[in-house]
Amino acid sequence: MAGRYDAVVVGAGHNGLTTAAYLAKAGRSVLVVEQRDHVGGILDTVELAPGVKGPGIVHTVGRLRTSVIHDLGLVKQGLVTVEPEARVFAPQLAGPPLTLWADATRTASELGERSPADGEAYPAFDKKVRSLASFLSYLHAITPPDVKDPSLADALNGLKLGNAFRRLGKRAGREATRALPMAIADYVAEAFETDALRGAIASRAVQYTAMGPWSAGTTAVLLADSAGNEGGAPGQSTIARGGPGALAEALANAARGFGAEIRTGAEVVQVSVERHRATGVVLADGSEVSARAVVTAIDPKRTLTTLLDPVEIGPHLRWRATNIRTPGSVSKVDLALSGLPSFDGGEPERLAGRIVIAPSIDHLERAFDASKYGGVGDDPYLEATIPTLSDPTLAPEGTHVMSIVAQWTPFELRETDWAAERDRLGDIVVKALERYAPGLSNLVTARRVTTPVDLEREYGLSGGHVYHGEPGLDQFFVWRPLLGHARYRLGLPGLYLCGSGAHPGGGVTGAPGANAVREILGDLKRRS
Amino acid sequence: MAPVANRYDAVIIGGGHNGLTAAAYLARAGRTVLVLERRHVLGGAAVTEEVFPGFRFSEFSYVVSLLRPEIIRELELPKHGLEILPLDGTITPLEDDSLWRVNDHGKTIRELRRWSKSDAEAYEEYGLLMADMARFIKPILSVVPPDPGAFNPFDWMPVVGLAKTFRDLPERLQSTFVQLMTMSATDFLRQWFETDPLIATMSASGIIGTFQGVRSPGTAYVLLHHYMGEIDGAFRAWGIPRGGTGGISEAIASAARAAGVEIRTETPVARIDVRNGRATGVVLESGEEVAAGAVLSSVDSHVTFLRLVEPSNLEPSFLEEVKRYKFRGSSGKVNLALDALPELACRPGKGEWLRGAISFSPGVDYMERAYDDAKYGRFSTRPYIDCIIPTLVDPSMAPPGKHVMSCFVQYAPYHLSDGRTWDDAERDAFGETVIATLEERFPSIRDLILHRQVLTPLDIERITGLTEGNIFQGELSLEQLFFNRPVPGWARYRTPIKDLWMCGSATHPGGGIMGAPGRIAALELLGARSGGSAGKVA
Repeated sequence: MAGRYDAVVVGAGHNGLTTAAYLAKAGRSVLVVEQRDHVGGILDTVELAPGVKGPGIVHTVGRLRTSVIHDLGLVKQGLVTVEPEARVFAPQLAGPPLTLWADATRTASELGERSPADGEAYPAFDKKVRSLASFLSYLHAITPPDVKDPSLADALNGLKLGNAFRRLGKRAGREATRALPMAIADYVAEAFETDALRGAIASRAVQYTAMGPWSAGTTAVLLADSAGNEGGAPGQSTIARGGPGALAEALANAARGFGAEIRTGAEVVQVSVERHRATGVVLADGSEVSARAVVTAIDPKRTLTTLLDPVEIGPHLRWRATNIRTPGSVSKVDLALSGLPSFDGGEPERLAGRIVIAPSIDHLERAFDASKYGGVGDDPYLEATIPTLSDPTLAPEGTHVMSIVAQWTPFELRETDWAAERDRLGDIVVKALERYAPGLSNLVTARRVTTPVDLEREYGLSGGHVYHGEPGLDQFFVWRPLLGHARYRLGLPGLYLCGSGAHPGGGVTGAPGANAVREILGDLKRRS
Repeated sequence: MAPVANRYDAVIIGGGHNGLTAAAYLARAGRTVLVLERRHVLGGAAVTEEVFPGFRFSEFSYVVSLLRPEIIRELELPKHGLEILPLDGTITPLEDDSLWRVNDHGKTIRELRRWSKSDAEAYEEYGLLMADMARFIKPILSVVPPDPGAFNPFDWMPVVGLAKTFRDLPERLQSTFVQLMTMSATDFLRQWFETDPLIATMSASGIIGTFQGVRSPGTAYVLLHHYMGEIDGAFRAWGIPRGGTGGISEAIASAARAAGVEIRTETPVARIDVRNGRATGVVLESGEEVAAGAVLSSVDSHVTFLRLVEPSNLEPSFLEEVKRYKFRGSSGKVNLALDALPELACRPGKGEWLRGAISFSPGVDYMERAYDDAKYGRFSTRPYIDCIIPTLVDPSMAPPGKHVMSCFVQYAPYHLSDGRTWDDAERDAFGETVIATLEERFPSIRDLILHRQVLTPLDIERITGLTEGNIFQGELSLEQLFFNRPVPGWARYRTPIKDLWMCGSATHPGGGIMGAPGRIAALELLGARSGGSAGKVA
């Protein structure tokens, strides 16, 4: 048996690494164990063909908390990010495409040519999103209060939050309580008249979810996506040079630099428990790692239902854990291309951000409808990036990589399975994109399709849910992942949750990890 | 101001159940009150009308479980003729089987065991849990919502009280409460159950009157209402008033009159008189002016602020908020006069199973597809239908041997797509779809129909005045509840115009034959007049 660590972190995704780095920086001895042969989790750079690299799952990293970048010295560790001026390029079947730029004024003037009303409404909408998102960023930075027994710290957080709320002003304060539970379809319809703009903006509120634009609470998803970053109304489209894996490497280097140990190819099969306290982990090879704190960066459902003895957590918590909603509905299609695809009106400058196929609310909703009955629609909602436009190192000169997030593709298919449907999904996605970029299929030299089942099998995500749990109103803040377990302590003493299943949820933010560290360090100090 | 001959302490616009309730409470506190109703009958959406000779129908609303027991008690409604006849059970007819649940728990559990042993077991546990939840949530129905934009500690007191109660709940109930407020009915129920017709039928109550599907987040909350139905103090009882839902309105009107309220029917209001930012009375369509110390509007917020009040009396930002408040009428009603009792193909005979609700909700997919149609602006090809046959418990509704059948139908969106409108052809097509759907389970029903009344959302709007035919005076979506109902910052029954109050379903706690908005508004007004807010009204 190895020596005893202050903390063992299960899973080397961005949150696991963030947690490890902060703990090590605070002088704690830390071991990270990762099941796969390399770090990063969904921050994965994959090889699509010899010499061609691309994002495996997520393709943008602009939501990463700036304090994490700064505190962990990620730039010094080699992180280079590129922020294209174009945030969103939304091609249309009928009519010209629209572009949402980082600069709201530029966006507004282009939108104004299509619809003067939308052009006029856009800057105000962008400002509103920023103001509500800035309030949410306060919420994201705190540990959810203890409902049963609020502490002094909770009261202070409440006060801070109250102040932030008050700073919003009376009208915006009311607006916050009204907007969060709204369906995004309603929210964008209040501001804009054209379908093209409504669809382009609404799409971000349903991304990585099993909700359509008419589902209540999707506005909260959009606002959360813009919280703590420069996203605003269009959202961010920042990429990491070298692929998303480069961010994982930077995080890992930072962690190692602070003294953390990282062991890959080490699968955890059980959390060891002694006298109702987590004391370490058992690895697949039978070895045991002992630690004062066991920190899980994998999803809470998998942690509670597969790594813990049911006797230890009791039947009620186990039942609740099995009911954590993880309806994975996202697939990934990655293409190696022999040239740049041609979109009508899509100069390379406009294609450098996210290319969003969501030409209307109805288009999104119909794509969602099919998934309710266990199928995949012919016209999915797609978000593509061409990272080679900003980072030519990924592929040989003149060739490109296209990374596509496709929705909705339900984890559970009816009357068929993903082994049989994988290629068909690849075809559907390429065909759908080709309607906007004629000739695309002739450019494809390699294709990689990742289904929800692959996401579960390869990346260990329950139900293939990239966010470790649906970002619905029922799994939010004080009740994420479960009421009574939202304070980064999970199930029994000594066990902590630091992944996307914890507040403030999924996305490459590092926020759950950074928040968890605060609690873990406090507990370690108290117990030593 | 010079004294006017016909001056009242309060004039109430609309003689629906909420308007009448508010009137009764004000009069019992010694105020002079006048109620003005546009139609020839009282009740608004809670009316009984003899639509066809000898056949009487609860034309719009059809069952009662929400009517607040304190209103029944305080207004002594049984003395004024209110009698609720119990409606026992819900049957979900399927192709060659049926799922029949009744109030007798043992019987229901035996039935469920046929479908799923674990569901039968869970049903017990679920029932107890929901009863516990209902007990916690009931006080919320009587709270005046605070304004989240303002920090008046006094207004927040009742909410703080609720928060304390919440904190002291066991975790099991806390998390259930959170789930009820945020989840879809189907997701919520799937935690306990696996039988598709059971989940679909229970979920159906979550979508009644809303433009949501059973899988839409936020629909779970309404499941609780089934456990809050407190007729005669007994939990979980649904019923129909003798003489139809108009019987409730009549009873409240009688209580109001007994307290001295004056009620005028066929007296439409043209506008609310506003002078110097203060409502001073109303002007009738006849031109007659009625002066009053306070004007209470029980009609919805669109009609009140966009039609009855001169826009120059309101801030543009307030009008903006009023305009963006969503109505989204989503349901229709088909009332049938039948020559004889119809029989179900899957369960022949004229047994007790026909005495409760007959729910066309065979599965979650069926319900969801019905919703999908509506999302794209069409009435459902195969709608969810909630039928009752009131003549089985109240034979007075039809000539001897004959029957009436009330079919609540969803979805029938107010706004149709592709340039179609709710004209006669569309209404006929809608009626035909409903009959064809009924026919799939009641094979002989077509031959039994003597008369049919088909009400589209547009018909409901025209007859009752409810905007878009929304029976709840506004979509019950999360952002339009509690302190946002009907306008953020104006959920305390007051309006930006002094002495103009709201007292209908457009205010907290919303629609259904509940009477709570009318009662709370009246008590709040009385409290304000005696200095200070009533805050929580017990």
